[in-house]
Amino acid sequence: MIEMEQHRDVTSPKLGMWLFLLSEILLFGGMFVLYSAYRYKNPVDFHHASEELDVILGTLNTVILLTSSLTMAISISAIQTGRRRLSTFLLTATIALGLLFLLNKGIEWTTKIDHGIYPNSPALLSRAKGEILFYGLYYVMTGLHGLHVLVGVGVLSVMLVFLLKEKISQSHFAGLENSGLYWHLVDIIWIFLYPLFYLIT
Amino acid sequence: MKTAKYRAYILVWVGLIILTGVTFSLAGFHLGGWAVLIALSIAGTKSGLVLNYYMHLRSEKELIFRIAIPLVLAVLLVFISLTFSDVVFR
Repeated sequence: MIEMEQHRDVTSPKLGMWLFLLSEILLFGGMFVLYSAYRYKNPVDFHHASEELDVILGTLNTVILLTSSLTMAISISAIQTGRRRLSTFLLTATIALGLLFLLNKGIEWTTKIDHGIYPNSPALLSRAKGEILFYGLYYVMTGLHGLHVLVGVGVLSVMLVFLLKEKISQSHFAGLENSGLYWHLVDIIWIFLYPLFYLIT
Repeated sequence: MKTAKYRAYILVWVGLIILTGVTFSLAGFHLGGWAVLIALSIAGTKSGLVLNYYMHLRSEKELIFRIAIPLVLAVLLVFISLTFSDVVFR
């Protein structure tokens, strides 16, 4: 069987993904502006509410996502040099770390909800105005980010199937690269969420 | 065997972890108004590392990636910070 040498356009899908990422930055950027405005007006309340978040879990989640970016980057590098088994292993590790992040977030959220702190809860509404705003932002922003992590896990899982079926290979790896771009953005968003929610002095 | 490239990725990761440690430690200090600026600077540096090395912005050859993307990123940053600064001047 002679494999026909197809002309492949690698640049266009990459550009498409970047344009999508820029739109995602606008999405979260808008929320960061909202956060900034409310924090500027309620500095003390934000500080008090932030102290109730688990810094250890937050820091752990940061390390988890940073490491998942590493495994993602090397996974792509590996398939580019034909190291399929290494690429598969590292892609699986990336997915596992993403799931670990979500598990962590789930623990954080359920702990808060068990203490009666959730949007519109009586316990939350009885608190200072700034604290209510903080938790509203916390749930919406980490929630939307978590949703992005979940979607990322789904996309990477599909890429893993492609990798195993050799639809992604040393000559055709754009899908994995672009999924990687998305995953790194999800990491970058968390890089900003972490200090702004967990480390307010 | 591109082990050199793997090394670069791992070094970036070490840098990211160290910066995370720095931002975590600084949270204990009383930096007043500087705290937010410093936290954002560290986050910005971490993002720069991810953008340039993991997302390969630094090594892209086409102009659209070398110039247009970073330019748009800068514009978005301006949008975000200018919109916020409005609150300060009300």
